Amino acid sequence: MKYHIVTLGCQMNMSDSERTRPVIERMGYTWTDNEEEADLLGILACSVRQKAIDKVYSRIHKWNKRKDRQNLLTFLTGCILPADKVKFMKLFDIVFPMSELKELPEMISQYGIVTPAGLQQTPETLVYHNEKLTELRQKTNELKLNEHIFDFWHINPEYTSHFEAFVPIQNGCDKFCSFCAVPYTRGREVSRPSKEILDEVQSLIDRNYKSITLLGQNVNSYGLDKNGNEIGFPELLRKIGEMGKKSGKEFWVYFTSPHPRDMTGEVIEVIAQYPNLAKQIHIPIQSGDDKVLIKMNRKYSVDDFRKIMKTIRTLLPEATVFTDIIVGFTGETDEHFENTRKIMDEFRFNMAYIAQYSVRPGSTSSRWEDDVPVHVKKQRFHTLTEDLMRVSFENNKKMIGRTYRVLVRGKERNQQFLAGLTEGKINVRIPSTDESLIGNIVNVKITTATEFSVAGEII
Amino acid sequence: MNIRGNIHKVVNIRDLTESTYVLRMEKKGLKFVAGQNLNIGIAGDTERRDYSIYSAENDDYLEILVKEVKDGLVSKRLRKLKAGEELDVDGPFGFFTIKEESRQAGKFLFIASGSGIAPFHSFARSYQKLDFKLIHGIRHSNEAYEREHYPEGQYVSCVTGDNNGDFKGRVTEYLRLNPPDNNTLCYLCGNVNMIYDAFDILKEKGLPSENLFAEVYF
Repeated sequence: MKYHIVTLGCQMNMSDSERTRPVIERMGYTWTDNEEEADLLGILACSVRQKAIDKVYSRIHKWNKRKDRQNLLTFLTGCILPADKVKFMKLFDIVFPMSELKELPEMISQYGIVTPAGLQQTPETLVYHNEKLTELRQKTNELKLNEHIFDFWHINPEYTSHFEAFVPIQNGCDKFCSFCAVPYTRGREVSRPSKEILDEVQSLIDRNYKSITLLGQNVNSYGLDKNGNEIGFPELLRKIGEMGKKSGKEFWVYFTSPHPRDMTGEVIEVIAQYPNLAKQIHIPIQSGDDKVLIKMNRKYSVDDFRKIMKTIRTLLPEATVFTDIIVGFTGETDEHFENTRKIMDEFRFNMAYIAQYSVRPGSTSSRWEDDVPVHVKKQRFHTLTEDLMRVSFENNKKMIGRTYRVLVRGKERNQQFLAGLTEGKINVRIPSTDESLIGNIVNVKITTATEFSVAGEII
Repeated sequence: MNIRGNIHKVVNIRDLTESTYVLRMEKKGLKFVAGQNLNIGIAGDTERRDYSIYSAENDDYLEILVKEVKDGLVSKRLRKLKAGEELDVDGPFGFFTIKEESRQAGKFLFIASGSGIAPFHSFARSYQKLDFKLIHGIRHSNEAYEREHYPEGQYVSCVTGDNNGDFKGRVTEYLRLNPPDNNTLCYLCGNVNMIYDAFDILKEKGLPSENLFAEVYF
């Protein structure tokens, strides 16, 4: 029996998918890349944009058509808004919050369909199973989104890479940014026990992983939900830094995404102290205008962000800084946008993930008029991207002539090159076909630079 | 049924105007800091909204101030609830709060429009000795929701639609004529246009952005 999962959205969903696969495989299913030959089909949904929701509808309608000619079971999990969930329950066989992943085998077995688990059943048991299934559905539907997230974290993941891994440390969000629906899809902030995180990181260090990313919607809010009964984020980083020191191994630990409101000087101080804590900070500013930040309900001002940047530049002079920016947010005027352009020059980001604002169903801003015309959003997107390219190119040119440690991640499309990342996550092109280097950290002397990458020779 | 928070029973509903009311519900031990909000829906319903807490930290009940929204999916239905009916309450959330150290020594200006007065009511009732002035922008003077709850002389209604307010005109006009000292901590809550205008005036008057705190109602 074969299964296929469609993973939509962010790194959190990618990480969730690494925990979903072993649960299904323990039931006897094997993975297939071809969804046409799968008997079990699942979606890890994302509610960040309407486009992602549309993809769920498109997939399930296609799959349900196949049910006329094939015994097929479908499930949906991930980020789902309560209102969407009601609709999806009519289209999918099983809908459950990710925190209930451990129950998936039971849900599937109660279906009584011909699956490795279903083969155990007899017609006599089906009445019982149907009752049980109704009970399970009811139970899943009534559960709070994060109620069983701890069970989910106990599942051993099947990492998709042998040198890069994501480690979830926190789930949910209490920040309620007006453009975002995460608090309504993933629930409130819940921190994973630090012992589990440290054990998982230690096992990755033992297996010589080179890049470990601590994941969460608000990683630097880690521990705050435990009211003093759990260590905070700086202490978690410190412990990981100590583990790295003790191992004597070279690897880089990243985290994403932090919220500027909780980015304390202590976090930056700890990063400065430990070589394994990567000198790369991803900190989403979203807008360079105080009034837009108020409307986004971000709870910090540009001045607050400026102070964080000053601390980073002082304590981590070599660090690269990445950010996220939304252009064309509801009510954003030309003047507001110009303020965002100014911060691109002031903070000199190495990378900015720029998005044109689109309504995210379920978010507060979805109830307002999306009043910036599409052509204006596009223009602002292009203008800001050009600003970013200029700044990023200037940053990258400074790398020429210097030697960097580079993690080789794979081959480029042009098969004559390998692709890698510096500790600061700057893309590096290396003229080599030596695939044995993939997964290793090598010295590369940078010779040329472009807007979004550099190139160099292994030395 | 899609329970996200905890079930709290409605205690009563107190009408303030034709379109605005205070909904009181069981507290059930929920702890919050004045200025925070709750995410509330009718038990069993998927539609939910965020409301600032109107009651004081130590009251033995929870209250929210609700203005009915035309075609609103939640505000109109909440008003029809009877005592004993159930709400699904999640929270508290939010950071529109006053730090303890500034509470002792600070001087505050609260600027509200409409139902944006709710967190300021909670501040005033929770911290009896707070040194504050509240200016409240409303269209009609009957919207000066429970002004008797504020100490004499600390509440100023800015009314645009009749002549019965403390000040005839918008909050922003009042602010231009009566700017606060630069060391005042200014809290703004209400509709976004008022907040933007007040924000500009306060910046023009030289208040540093670290003294400005805003919570936008939509």
